[in-house]
Amino acid sequence: MREAFSNALVRLALADPKVLLLTGDHGYALFDEFRKRCPGQYINAGIAEQNMVGMAAGLARVGFRPFVYGLAAFVPIRTVEQIKLDIAHDNLPVVLLGDGAGFVYSHLGTSHQSTEDIACTRAIPSLEVLSPADRFEMTASIDRAYMANGPVYLRMGKSDRGDVHVGPIDTLLPGRLLQVRVGRNDRPGLIATGSMVRTAVDVAAEHDLNVWSAPSLKPLSADDVIAAVRASTGLVTLEEHSVLGGLGAAVTEITSERQPTRVLRIGVPDRFSEHCGTHAYLLKEHGLDRVTIERRINEFEAAL
Amino acid sequence: MHPLARPYPESSVERLFAPARMRRTVLEMAYAGSTVHIACAFSIIELVTVLYRNHLRYPGNDPLAEGRDFLVLSKGHGVMAQYACMLELGWLNDSHVQGYFKDGSNLKGLSDSRIPGLEVTSGSLGHGFSVGVGIAMGLQRKGTDQKVYAIVGDGELNEGPIWEGALVAAHHKMDNLMLIVDKNGFQAMGTTDDVLALGDLSAKFASFGFETLEVDGHDEAAVDAAIVQLWATGAGKPKALIADTVKGKGVPFMESDNRWHYTRLNAQTFAEAVDALGLSGAST
Repeated sequence: MREAFSNALVRLALADPKVLLLTGDHGYALFDEFRKRCPGQYINAGIAEQNMVGMAAGLARVGFRPFVYGLAAFVPIRTVEQIKLDIAHDNLPVVLLGDGAGFVYSHLGTSHQSTEDIACTRAIPSLEVLSPADRFEMTASIDRAYMANGPVYLRMGKSDRGDVHVGPIDTLLPGRLLQVRVGRNDRPGLIATGSMVRTAVDVAAEHDLNVWSAPSLKPLSADDVIAAVRASTGLVTLEEHSVLGGLGAAVTEITSERQPTRVLRIGVPDRFSEHCGTHAYLLKEHGLDRVTIERRINEFEAAL
Repeated sequence: MHPLARPYPESSVERLFAPARMRRTVLEMAYAGSTVHIACAFSIIELVTVLYRNHLRYPGNDPLAEGRDFLVLSKGHGVMAQYACMLELGWLNDSHVQGYFKDGSNLKGLSDSRIPGLEVTSGSLGHGFSVGVGIAMGLQRKGTDQKVYAIVGDGELNEGPIWEGALVAAHHKMDNLMLIVDKNGFQAMGTTDDVLALGDLSAKFASFGFETLEVDGHDEAAVDAAIVQLWATGAGKPKALIADTVKGKGVPFMESDNRWHYTRLNAQTFAEAVDALGLSGAST
């Protein structure tokens, strides 16, 4: 997935000399290829994220296509105001790449973990939000971000969960849900994003559930969500992000007005991580491990 | 040419940008809109006068011309001074002055980049300069001779991104960028010395790698000469012009009285202020 990320960026930069990659002194190995192939389009802006995001706005104002890379804890979170005011307000074509979202930096503690970035970015007008699940969605998301020609936040979470699609995605249309598993319509359907799509597929295989991946969180297609409701009995959303303001919120904003149904929102409870450990350990701490998820889906289904 | 723009005869350029008339424009807007930040605009009147009259290039008098120079008003609180310039240029007209702050109007109380002629949305401080650094970096990469001027308040220098941007500007040798500090000695709640002392600004920016000059920010000839000199010296270095100014300059009862950061005009203070400009009855 990270290779797909790097390859897509290199391909875009080689095709369009206006593409610039700005990093806040992060991405050491990730950008080896980019630095080798497009050295003139690589800018290490220093450990100065606020200035970097403002600067990206300035570069976009005079015709460049900046991709701004940071850890999600810093881009977008540290720089939410710059994104709102300097970029989104003027619909500037700047792509914000937030890496390590969720609990990727599981051993490093709260400073490097990011479970509020979708909520923050979704609320910023004119900002599109992408959250790819595998290498195929990543490639399509980078292409979409470039094609959008406007402000985009691309969230990159745990990247080694494996594929959920069988092959490349031609074109990622904003807001569309991608069905990655067809299951029974008399049981709950799962809508997941990012790292949790793989988990959703694994859980669904055992219970024969529908699964949709949501690589595009804003906009989110109301028609697709309604179709998911109609194809299932109750919905479950899964995300490595707070249950407040993320995918679960986006789905229920649609269902509550358009197609009322019961929705179980599985995500990070409204709390910080308490302990240190592997990514799998932290998922368990927050109830995002497979066992807990299956138990909650069963309880949800039983109460429908 | 932008729809807002109207051509003006070259011969009239000398007539344009009379500071007293621009201050009157600011007073008229502030009175019409019952708005604040008059003193913040008054301290930069001569600075923007010299910039627009002598330095900023707008091909075709078009505020959106691709080949223009960029004036980034990072201290968005001074935006009425820029509106006054835009009126002089014909980018705004009297209806904008009289309609200031009316429901449904476009001109806001802080700089908004959606208005042709204003390059950044500022007022949240410490934003505009970074955007200006990015514009300068972009122009540098394009290899054009366009210039970027960023006016920041001295109070605004409290903001961290200014110093991040200063590091980046020097590191990337942005000698197409001029930071102009409106050093009026005040910020919202008091003097800069009382709130957060800035120390020796010239020395600070020089140590960051800027070519710096200090100037009396109300002496038009001196400001012009300083700008010319800064561009001519310090190849490969960004420029910093530290302009000593007086908050509220031009109306004695407003000068260095920080209440005029917040105070609205009434009929009496409006008349007194206009009188103090010595322009009574000689409107724009």
